[in-house]
Amino acid sequence: MFTSRTTGLMLVLPAVVFIAVGFLAPVLILLAQSLRLEDGWGIGNYLAFMNDGLGREVFWRTIKLAALVTLAAAVIGYVAAWAIVETRPERRGVLVGMVILPLMISPVARTYAWLVILGRTGFLNVLITNLGLSEEPLRLLFTETAVFIGLLQLFLPLMIISLVSALENLPRDVVPAAQTLGAGWIATFFKVILPLTREGLVIGGTLVFTGSVTAYITPAVLGGSKVLMLETLLYQRVSVANDFASASVIAAILMVTTLAANRLLRRLATPRRR
Amino acid sequence: MSSRMGGLMLALVFLFLIGPFLIIIAAGMSAGETLAFPPQGLSLRWFWAVFEVESFRASFVLSIVLAVGATLLALVLGVPVAYALARYPLPGGEAMRTLLTSPVIVPAIIVGLALLRYVVIPLDLGIVPALFVAHTALLVPYAVRVVSASLANLRSDIEEAAVLLGANRVQAFFLTVLPNIRNGILAAFILGFVTSFNQVPVSLFLTGPGVSTLPIQMLWYMEFTYDPSIAALSALLALMSMAIVLLAERFLGLSRYV
Repeated sequence: MFTSRTTGLMLVLPAVVFIAVGFLAPVLILLAQSLRLEDGWGIGNYLAFMNDGLGREVFWRTIKLAALVTLAAAVIGYVAAWAIVETRPERRGVLVGMVILPLMISPVARTYAWLVILGRTGFLNVLITNLGLSEEPLRLLFTETAVFIGLLQLFLPLMIISLVSALENLPRDVVPAAQTLGAGWIATFFKVILPLTREGLVIGGTLVFTGSVTAYITPAVLGGSKVLMLETLLYQRVSVANDFASASVIAAILMVTTLAANRLLRRLATPRRR
Repeated sequence: MSSRMGGLMLALVFLFLIGPFLIIIAAGMSAGETLAFPPQGLSLRWFWAVFEVESFRASFVLSIVLAVGATLLALVLGVPVAYALARYPLPGGEAMRTLLTSPVIVPAIIVGLALLRYVVIPLDLGIVPALFVAHTALLVPYAVRVVSASLANLRSDIEEAAVLLGANRVQAFFLTVLPNIRNGILAAFILGFVTSFNQVPVSLFLTGPGVSTLPIQMLWYMEFTYDPSIAALSALLALMSMAIVLLAERFLGLSRYV
């Protein structure tokens, strides 16, 4: 008969071996390769990437777009989540289901919809030219705005769900209490609602931010080679330029950015002690 | 905020989230040769046309096989882990959990590239086994998390009772634990299936000429062709996902596990 500790180990062993060999080891080797130079090891590849104008531009664009998407998702998310929580409980389930539904649909299909809307002969351009707002169809695709819209639509549901569960746990009477005491809507939000739902905001924010940083389909379809983000640049470096050194640097940057965002945001979630 | 104002805001948010799908369905129903909205005449021809395209058919089959296979393997690996984490003292339990959930944190595109460089090329592994390994690794964390959630609600005394009544540990697991976490396992299966079926970044570097998953095939196709077939296909996929989600929500309460 085995001790319970051995039984436990035997139960987890297959999964641990699979993940270690089929996932972790190759990923760690890849990340380590970013420090590999022609003669030994060092940060030369990183310096080369950051000194390359395109690399730097793409890095900052990725961070900027992800931050803007997160901010927009937070603002819209609070309004939507508040409206959902205000409804009767039986309707709330349906509304939450409608928020979750798009998450289950292929991101390729979701992104393609924006191609139909923003393309040269797309919905918006037909509307604009027919209304006489512009003679020529506008170039809406392959812009940062297009990528921003696509990412926001992709990740907004994650923020709404996190905020709905945070707002559901908000004591019912804090808002009326704050307003009785003379706080306006803005003060109520920043002094009462925000601190009490910070954890939900941070969970949602982490999902939206890291999701946007590591998005591939949206920048590939709506940004193209005009609006490269880190993942599309990584793909280009491997399959077009066959430049593996800079691909491994981008991989490491993606990894570090994701981990750092997770860390930083988690720290923001824990209330400050005074 | 008054409730009328809230309702209006909510309607706008849903228009943004769900409206594009309605546009896609309409664009797919076009009778014309090129993609346009509003569509040039109504017809279902593109919905039938996508079934005629050999590369769509082949990649659809591969995507289904891959999603089912990888999800099943992830469950075979993940259910024992969830069970062990819930019932047994594990040395370094937290570290174990971190290791096993690490695939969620690592950007999927890196996983695909790493597997290509250090597993597929050195071992001369085929495309399908490589995709299978990559997708399974990504799904193990989902399996562990969802099944753990459903085990958390299960008291351990029914198992003890089974053992006292003469069942061995394995019998006790299959006769008392498994039937009770069946819904959790089904929910994990559906989530895993959908995740794998929709997955793009991990497969990007692992698919090759002639062998591709459906979403990647669609990305390829839309780069070179501007007809309504991708709209029709996207609409079909959206309807398929909706059907799966509605059924799962109705019978399992899927939203509890997301």
